[in-house]
Amino acid sequence: MTTDVEKPPQRNGNHIKHKLIPSKLVSPPSGPQGPYRLPKNQHFRDHRRFGFSNIMLVLVILFLFAPLFVVITYSFNAAKGMRWTGLSLEWYKKLFFDSNELWRAFGNSIMIAFSSALVATMLGSLAAIGIKWYRFKARAYIQIASFLPMVLPEVIIGISMLIFFSAIKVQLGMFTIFAAHTTFNIPFVFLLVSARLDEFDFSIIEAARDLGATERQALFKVVIPSIMPGIVTSMLMSVTMSLEDFVITFFVSGPGSTTLPLYVYSMIRYGVSPVINSLSLVLILGIMILALTLRRFLKTIAASS
Amino acid sequence: MKTHRLRFVFLALAVLLVATLLITGCSKKTESGKTLYLYNWTYYTPESVIEKFEKEFGVRVVIDYFASNEDMFTKLTGGGSGYDVVFPSQDYTEIMIKQDMLNPIDPSKIPNLSYISSFALEKATYDPKMEYSVPYYLGAAGIAVNKTEVTDYARDWSIFADTRLAGRMSMLDDPREVIGDALAYLGYSVSTVDPKELAEAQKLINEQWKPNLVKFDAEGFAKSFSLGEFWVVQGYAEGIFEELDAERWGEVDFFLPPDGGPMYLDSMVIPKGAKNIDLAHQFINFIHRPEIYAEFLDRFHFPSTVHTTAEQLKKNDSFYEVEDLATYELKYDVGAYLAEYDKIWQTIRYVN
Repeated sequence: MTTDVEKPPQRNGNHIKHKLIPSKLVSPPSGPQGPYRLPKNQHFRDHRRFGFSNIMLVLVILFLFAPLFVVITYSFNAAKGMRWTGLSLEWYKKLFFDSNELWRAFGNSIMIAFSSALVATMLGSLAAIGIKWYRFKARAYIQIASFLPMVLPEVIIGISMLIFFSAIKVQLGMFTIFAAHTTFNIPFVFLLVSARLDEFDFSIIEAARDLGATERQALFKVVIPSIMPGIVTSMLMSVTMSLEDFVITFFVSGPGSTTLPLYVYSMIRYGVSPVINSLSLVLILGIMILALTLRRFLKTIAASS
Repeated sequence: MKTHRLRFVFLALAVLLVATLLITGCSKKTESGKTLYLYNWTYYTPESVIEKFEKEFGVRVVIDYFASNEDMFTKLTGGGSGYDVVFPSQDYTEIMIKQDMLNPIDPSKIPNLSYISSFALEKATYDPKMEYSVPYYLGAAGIAVNKTEVTDYARDWSIFADTRLAGRMSMLDDPREVIGDALAYLGYSVSTVDPKELAEAQKLINEQWKPNLVKFDAEGFAKSFSLGEFWVVQGYAEGIFEELDAERWGEVDFFLPPDGGPMYLDSMVIPKGAKNIDLAHQFINFIHRPEIYAEFLDRFHFPSTVHTTAEQLKKNDSFYEVEDLATYELKYDVGAYLAEYDKIWQTIRYVN
């Protein structure tokens, strides 16, 4: 059902952006009218150089990014402390050749982030589809219950998981962190995929069934491909949240499963080493590259569905 | 077209996952397959020592770090067992012994126990025979003064009452430390349970010290000190000097006030639930091998407070000497009276 249908004109990324974003604002999103486009040269406001919005923009960007610049600058400092003594790559050398503990923690973080995000994405997406697709008794309750981990304070989730794991005699470690992260990621995946499904025209499924697709075929060949951007986005969200989580991880981590945030936190009494500054730059660069490639990638998926 | 891309997405994700699993999983194998799990203060055991232990015994050592005794205790009581050696401070060692959380130490497996100084054991009144804990290090927080900025000052706790230095000083964000200093300065025990003495200490801190302090801080003060923003700070020597490059160490006068004050004794204990009890004993024995212990002392410029022979073997000068600690007192567990300390701390820390 893909190849013969008229393809949207393949131009640059702009038209896709227009198709994606206003579709949330304008209610009948897709359908026979084709992609919605903003009229050319129409802006919402004129852009004066020192207008309120520009000043706000600069201030917000400063507020958000100035700390990062400080960290990056100090990562090239020759001295240990905060006094600037000269340019040096010493901390990078230390980071790459002499920081086993740090890389171990980083590896733990990455492993947990990707595995828990993958599982959470699968479970959350299926849950969202199931709840949209079928009508059944406990539907509303499941929906409400699934938001609980999102609204409950992290400390409470952390402690209750800790008590739960020790009550059922599970050894704390990588597995328990993985389980905990999967748990708190599911609601976010559920929410994002549900939002995507709200725009989804369910008559397409009827059409697919009408044309002889089984229920499973309809799921894998129609529903999932068309909500793929939502699924990928929620997976990335889950990876991010899992990477940065401290509170819950603190409670459910066990011997040998220190993650990066736990590791950095444990350094504060002794003085956070400048190696962390250089790690920050490496992470910022890595994430920027990842985000840029994924952006192109997401556009391709969005265009093809 | 579409299905191809979909497949590619899943394939890419799967490859990424497997790759991370492999990368992080590979490093977990050693010859004997044994892994020793340590739970320690950050950087408290030099990496070189750990590497030597790994090589000699053919095992892997995994260290997790904690930033405070409270963190560690929460973890262990919450069921976070599985650690083989943990390094709590005296009050928590005492609590853990009382709560029956520790495995007894088998002295026959640790011949190097003979090196432990009587000085340390006298202080460890909760476990003088090392039945449950083996001393690791005994030390105290002191005062560091930036000599290039400050020339004329009192070398005792009254430095914090010096109004000329107002706005340039900080003390630790730790009730037992700060109240303990005031108690010692007034000539009382740092673990007093006498409300009158505590009230006096509170008055001293609130009326004479606090107005001159920028803040109570246990995390960022060493950075501020190295920047020249703070001139006089109370803190642990190893933490302060770690922030400074070695060539600037001459600019700093670090001393332990002779009036005394609180000190700490960190011990090595084997918690219940440890899986490698033999290996844990071997590790404790290894740490107290004189040349290894000297290596630890050299790394942090510590004096040999708990070890009788390592002092002669170490190469670096220490930031303070064992004799400086003569007037110092361990912070014992004050039990339920801790609430009283906390109450006083609230008035110091948060009420202006």
